[in-house]
Amino acid sequence: MSGDEHRPVPVPDEQSAAFWAAAAEHALALARCVHCGCFAHPPGVVCARCRHPKPGFEFTRIDGAGTVRSWTVIRDSFLPGFRGAVPFVLVDVELDIQPDLRLIGRLVDGVGAEVRLGDRVTAVFDDVAPGIAVPAFALERRS
Amino acid sequence: MSPRFRARCQVAIAGYAQSPIERRASRPLGVIALDTALQAIADAGLARDQIDGFVTASLLPSAGPHESVDGVSIVTANWLAQQLGVHPRFACGFQGFGQLAGSVMLAVNAVASGAANYVLLHRALHNPPVGRYHANPMTEARGALQWTAPQGYFGPLAMIALPYNEYLQRYGASRDAMAAVLVEARANGARIPWSYWHDRPITADDYLAARVIADPIGVLDCDIPVDGVAAFVITTADRARDLQHPPVYVAGYAQGSPRRARLPLHWPLDDIMEAGFDIARRLEESSGLSPQEIDVPQLYDGFSPLVYFWLESLGLCPVGEAHRFVQDDGIRTDSGLPVLSGGGALGNGRMHGVPQMLECYLQLSGRAADRQLRSARVGLACHSSPHYGGAVLYTGEPL
Repeated sequence: MSGDEHRPVPVPDEQSAAFWAAAAEHALALARCVHCGCFAHPPGVVCARCRHPKPGFEFTRIDGAGTVRSWTVIRDSFLPGFRGAVPFVLVDVELDIQPDLRLIGRLVDGVGAEVRLGDRVTAVFDDVAPGIAVPAFALERRS
Repeated sequence: MSPRFRARCQVAIAGYAQSPIERRASRPLGVIALDTALQAIADAGLARDQIDGFVTASLLPSAGPHESVDGVSIVTANWLAQQLGVHPRFACGFQGFGQLAGSVMLAVNAVASGAANYVLLHRALHNPPVGRYHANPMTEARGALQWTAPQGYFGPLAMIALPYNEYLQRYGASRDAMAAVLVEARANGARIPWSYWHDRPITADDYLAARVIADPIGVLDCDIPVDGVAAFVITTADRARDLQHPPVYVAGYAQGSPRRARLPLHWPLDDIMEAGFDIARRLEESSGLSPQEIDVPQLYDGFSPLVYFWLESLGLCPVGEAHRFVQDDGIRTDSGLPVLSGGGALGNGRMHGVPQMLECYLQLSGRAADRQLRSARVGLACHSSPHYGGAVLYTGEPL
């Protein structure tokens, strides 16, 4: 991807540090509540499922396979760091690991790829700066 | 306990004022707000010292780094009261997204409870003079934005593009169908003297030729940022009947809210629709009126797909059919449901829910002049997406 110099880079915090540390190793690790076992993304201060106020999230590595629920082609970005990267495709993905667990990321196949609702994708990573990688998706080959 | 609204038709709109809607005004926003407030108070036949309540939602709805400066880029209730030299018993702001509906709810509750006798409700919207409205030069994404901005998912166009594309794909609809919505909004806006788009209707070809920014959202699917202020005087029905204009009564209201925590700006279609169904049910419980009894249903259209989502969630057409309904002249003001008769945000400029509320008021009070509809007894003013928004039901006669 060109024009990445000023792409906004994530600034890890207490809630997110483990997620970004895994991403740097090209692994998807999502927060899992120690009480109900449900994944939460983004991880809040309270578990979104069981409402436990001390979810004690454990970041669990998952394989990142999922299904496309929608997509858009960004042709003009409000973020100057992405202006050199347009047009690019963003996909709204429901991860297999838990119903309605969603992640939004760039589709690395590009605008030429024909996308349909229900297409299968898997998580990949964009290296955006030294030690920083951001989740993206790639289409699984249709059989 | 009955969900029926106990203050049903006990509170009414007694007067209004609307400033010219300009791309960039030559006067500070606060000065326009002051002028507009005084005009609304005069329109109601009141003196400023009778106003004892002030309500607004002051948010500058931009994804950019524009500063919120009271009197310059925003106008709060307290700022306006102070500049008018009034010391109100009640002044507050609504903090959610469905700002016009939310502000009306605060004002109605204040009047119904006796916390204030005459509330001035205003909405002031600003288009910052420097930089693009939503542009943001951030190079670091912190807090909630760290989950989406590093991927390039940012700003409200991408936000609405995802559920809109989900709709098109799910129901086999074409982006081209939306031309009927834009042509209708702009035709009506063209007839409104204060509209930014006054005298500037568009054709379907204009719509189809416009630049696409975040597929399927194009530049004309978005309302244009403007400077403008509207103000309304809200009081008890009894007091309103003694004033110079016919009262327009608040028959009920309803809000929607998202049921799940999501990523920032992530609006799956089903989240929007289930909240819309909640609103339709709550409106009926609150007022005793069904959506089919509304003859002036003013739907929110800050982004064009919201017209589809409101049409379907209110049951004004079947789910999945809005794209056909609009193409079959279903929303033509002269022959169908007048859902954009007031021009909406697409036909006026980014006045948030003001055009919807104002059209309900003008039509139901019989003050719409040459735009007066033949039948205007029950109006609905929607604002925002159903899952962050609300709707207020108005009647021309008390129920």
